[in-house]
Amino acid sequence: MTDTPANSVDATLRALLADILGLGDARAAALTEDSGLFGELPEFDSMAVATVLTEMEDRLGIIIDDDEIDGEIFETYGNLLAFSLRKVTD
Amino acid sequence: MGEHHLRIEPAGAPRATILIVPPLFEEANRTRHTLVLAMRALAARGFSAVMPDLPGQNESLVALEDVDLAGWQAALAEAAAIIDGPLLVASVRGGCLIDHSIKAAGWWRLAPVGGSSLLRTLLRARASADREAGVTSALESLTETAKSEPLLLAGNRLSPAMIAQLGDAEAQPVEPLRSVALGAGGITGTPLWLRAEPGEDAAMAQAIAADIANWSASCGAI
Repeated sequence: MTDTPANSVDATLRALLADILGLGDARAAALTEDSGLFGELPEFDSMAVATVLTEMEDRLGIIIDDDEIDGEIFETYGNLLAFSLRKVTD
Repeated sequence: MGEHHLRIEPAGAPRATILIVPPLFEEANRTRHTLVLAMRALAARGFSAVMPDLPGQNESLVALEDVDLAGWQAALAEAAAIIDGPLLVASVRGGCLIDHSIKAAGWWRLAPVGGSSLLRTLLRARASADREAGVTSALESLTETAKSEPLLLAGNRLSPAMIAQLGDAEAQPVEPLRSVALGAGGITGTPLWLRAEPGEDAAMAQAIAADIANWSASCGAI
């Protein structure tokens, strides 16, 4: 895998979800675009959502305005990745 | 300070006491088991290890909404004042925001975090829980409400003073200080304070104890 910005955002996001949800490397690596997050993973509660947002800001060097957040972003891993990529390239 | 504390003693006379200042709020619960393992490892290395309850946390009889960061600083200084012999402070995450009033021979800090980052996460957890319940609550309006009345944030009823102080709190300069992060050159381990479900990291507990012991020997503080 070449080290494009997209790959590095993807890797950062997987590591962050592994840290917060305690997924372990194997489960984090196995996440696909369609993998469900909020409502699907029992660990993904409202506190975890909040922690994910703050860690995304710290690790991706972005600022997330809470007006931008709706339920859809956390529906699937693909949605969260697309949102992150958009923020990083903004 | 009239609060319970957990103390683990070495077999012989202690080389020094390590006062553990835990992370704040939910992060304290997520890390407690591993910190207690680190205290056991410190005792095995000849240190006495003490972790006090902060007023309003754990077994405390004080209501959380009656305390603020200034009160926690004072309570820690008071708890430290009755400890005999050389004292080192080891604080983790938000604990680093309230450890500077303690009279100590040295400070060791793990992964210090700004108060504003902790507050933002708490406010977001509230907003996220509200959203699930079909209520829209913007961070701005929550922050505005928090100026005049206590706010329930992720199970913590926090006073206006606590919220205001948290928003501005940064770790203060202390001397001598070793500040370590997770990862290369710091402590190898997992950021358990972020973890949604409680976990433990025994290897990290050993690494924490070893780093504190090495630093205490090299810093000349004790």
